[in-house]
Amino acid sequence: MKQKLKTLLHKDGPWAFILLLPSILGFFIFVLFPVVASFLLSFTSWDLLTPIKWVGFENYLKLFKDETFIKVLWNTLYFTAVTVPIGIIISLFLAVALNQKIRFIKFYRAAYFLPVISSMVAVAVIWQWIYNPEYGLLNFILSLFGINGPSWLSDTKWAMPAVMITSIWKGLGFNMLIFLAGIQGISESYYEAADIDGATWFKKFIHITVPLLRPTTFFVTVMAIIGSFQVFDAVFLLTQGGPARSTSVLVHYLYQNGFEYFQMGYASAMAYILFFLVLAFTLIQFTLQKRREV
Amino acid sequence: MRKWIKLLFVMAMVFSLILAGCQSKESSSGGGSKDGVVTLKFMGWEASPLETESVKKGIAKFEEAHPNIKVEYTPVPGDQYASKLLTMMAGDAAPDVFFLGASDYRSFQKRGVLLDLTQYFENELDIDDFIPSSGGIMSIDGSIYGVSSCTVSPVLYYNKDLFDQAGISYPPSNPDEAWTWDEFTKAAAQLTVKDGDKVTQFGTYGFETFANTIVGILENEGSVFNDDFTATTINSPQTKEVLEAILTVKQNGYSPEAKLLEESGMSASQMLQTGKIGMLIEGSWALQQLAQMDFPVGVAALPKFDVASTTGQAHLHSASTNTKHPEEAWEFIKFLSSEEYQTDLISSGLWMPNRTSLYTEEGIEKWFNADVHPEEFKELVPYFQNAAVDPFAINKLNQIDDIMIEELDKFWYDGQPSEDILANIERRVNEEFAK
Repeated sequence: MKQKLKTLLHKDGPWAFILLLPSILGFFIFVLFPVVASFLLSFTSWDLLTPIKWVGFENYLKLFKDETFIKVLWNTLYFTAVTVPIGIIISLFLAVALNQKIRFIKFYRAAYFLPVISSMVAVAVIWQWIYNPEYGLLNFILSLFGINGPSWLSDTKWAMPAVMITSIWKGLGFNMLIFLAGIQGISESYYEAADIDGATWFKKFIHITVPLLRPTTFFVTVMAIIGSFQVFDAVFLLTQGGPARSTSVLVHYLYQNGFEYFQMGYASAMAYILFFLVLAFTLIQFTLQKRREV
Repeated sequence: MRKWIKLLFVMAMVFSLILAGCQSKESSSGGGSKDGVVTLKFMGWEASPLETESVKKGIAKFEEAHPNIKVEYTPVPGDQYASKLLTMMAGDAAPDVFFLGASDYRSFQKRGVLLDLTQYFENELDIDDFIPSSGGIMSIDGSIYGVSSCTVSPVLYYNKDLFDQAGISYPPSNPDEAWTWDEFTKAAAQLTVKDGDKVTQFGTYGFETFANTIVGILENEGSVFNDDFTATTINSPQTKEVLEAILTVKQNGYSPEAKLLEESGMSASQMLQTGKIGMLIEGSWALQQLAQMDFPVGVAALPKFDVASTTGQAHLHSASTNTKHPEEAWEFIKFLSSEEYQTDLISSGLWMPNRTSLYTEEGIEKWFNADVHPEEFKELVPYFQNAAVDPFAINKLNQIDDIMIEELDKFWYDGQPSEDILANIERRVNEEFAK
C-alpha cells in the first residue's frame, strides 16, 4: 500500500491532473456549462425571472423574419469583410518595416503595440474627438486637402467606416507582433540566396516572406475573423449602434435582447447563429489551408 | 482520427472565444437580524454626485429615526442599471429596496419580482396626494409596487443675455401664455448669428431628442399608443406636422445637428452657458447644473402646438418580493417618498415635487431656492403639476423605444420622408406588439 502510494506520487500523470484541475474546473464551470446551457436556452423563451418555456425552433424561425437581425447580420459581415483584410495587410507591411535594422526600432514597435494594451474606453474617447466634425483632427487634416469631411459618427453612411478605422488601428499591433515573430523565424539564407540571384526587395517579399509566413497568416486570419465577428466594445463605446442602427452588430443586438428586452432565449439563439457562422468560416479556412499544404 | 481532433480543437477554440458568458450567484440578500437590527440592502444609480450625497444624507437621517434598521447603499452606474438589477434578481441576490426607472417599472412588475406595497400604501399614504403623472405611473390596475420619488419634465431653458442682446422678450414661463410654434421659430431665427457661412450662435437645440419630440406630438393632440398600449397610433397627421416643424428649424440653420453637439465634448448645458445656443429643450433636472454655471438662465414652458403641456416621469422606489424584511423595506420606501427627503433635492434644482402639498403657496415656500430657481420659475410650477404621464413609463416593451429612435434617426440624419418613417414605425412596432 505504502509502496503503491509512493510510486503514484512519483508518477507525472496524477500530478499533471491535480495541477491542471483549477483551469479544467474553470473550463467546465465558466465555459462548457454556459455553452451547453445557452444552446438549450436557445430553444426556450426565458426572461431570466419567470419560468422557462420550451418553444422548439421558434426563436430561430423568428430570427430570419426579424429585419433588425438581418440588418445587424449584414453590418457584422460588412465589418468583417473590411477590417480583416485591411488590418492584415497593414500589419504585415508594418511587421516587415519594423524588422529592419533602424535606430529606435524598439520605440517604434512599442508605439504600434500601445493601442493593443490601451483601454478601449480611453481609446473611444480620443477617437470621438478625432471624428468630431467641427473640432476634430480628422476633418482638420481633410480640410488641408480641400475635402469637407463628413460628421463621421452621426452619418448613417460614415459611422461604420469610422468604427472600422478605430478597430483596425486598435488591433494592428497585435497582428504585427505575431507577423514579426513569424518573419524572424524565416532563415536568413533564403534572402542571401535571393540576393545572389539579384532579386529585388519586392520579389523577395512576394516569393520568400509571404509563402513562408503562411502558417502565421493563417493563424492571424482565423483569429481576426473570430474577433471581428464578435466586435462589441468599439461599437458600444463609439456609437451605441446608431445612428439608425447603422453600426449595430450581432453581439450588440444580442446584448440588447438578453439584458434590455428580457429575451434571453432569443439572444441565445443569436449566439448560436454567430457560433455556426464562425465555425463555418473557420472550417473553410482549415480546408483551404490544408489544400495548400498538399 | 486526426481530422476529428482538429475539429474538436476548432470547436473548443471557437466556443471559448464566443460564449464565455458566466452566471454568477452572489450570496442571497437580506442581512441577518443580530440584536434585532435589520440590514436593508439598497441599490440606486449615480445620477449626479449631488444626488448620491443626498441619498447618503437621507439614509443617515432615516437610520437615526429607526435605530433598528441599517441601510447598506450601493450606487451603480446608470447606463446598465436595469441589466444589473435583472441579473441580480435572476441570481437570487436582489437588493431589498432599489431605484427603478419609470420605463422599467411595468416590465419588472409583470414578472412578479416587485413586492406588492398596496396594503402598506393604503394604510399610510393616499394616491390623491400625488400629482396625476406620478400617481398614474405608480398605480398598476389599482395596485402599488413602487412609490414615486419625484417628477421631472422637459422644459425650455434660455440664456437671458442672448435675449437681451437681440432685444427680444423672454419666453413666457406661465404655461397659459406659452409661445406658439411660430413665435418660437421667430425667436430662434433672431437668436441665430452667422459669421460669413459659419453659424456662431444657434437659436435653439433639443427638440429632436426623442423624449422632447414626444412632448411635441402630445402638445399637438397626437398620441403614441392606443389606450391599452397594444398598438402605436404615432402615424398621424399631428405627428407629421410636429416632425416637419422641428426639421424646418434645423434646415433653416437655427438648430445644430444633434449628434454634432454630443461629439463636441461640450454638454448642451455648456453650449447654453457659453452662448452657443439661445434656447435649450432639456429635462427639468438640468437646472441643478445650469444654476451653478454662473450665467442668467431662464426657465419657461415649451412652445405649444395646440396645447401647452409637458410629460412627467421619475424613478420609483420598490422592494423585492424576496426581501426578508418587508415591513422595514416599506418604512424606508415611505421615508424616501416623504416631503422631508424630497425637499433637499428639489431645492437643488434636480427634482420637482410629486406631492400636491408641495404645490400650494405654502408648499412652494418650503423648497423654492432663490439661488437656483429663477424668479419667473414660480409661474411655471403648475406646468409640472399638470404634466401628462410619459407614455413610455406605461409601455412595457423596451424594444419599442429603440425601433422608434432608429427610424426617427433616418428622418433627422438621413433625409428620409416623414410618411415613410411613420409608416415604418407603425408597421414594425405593431409587429413587435403582436409577437
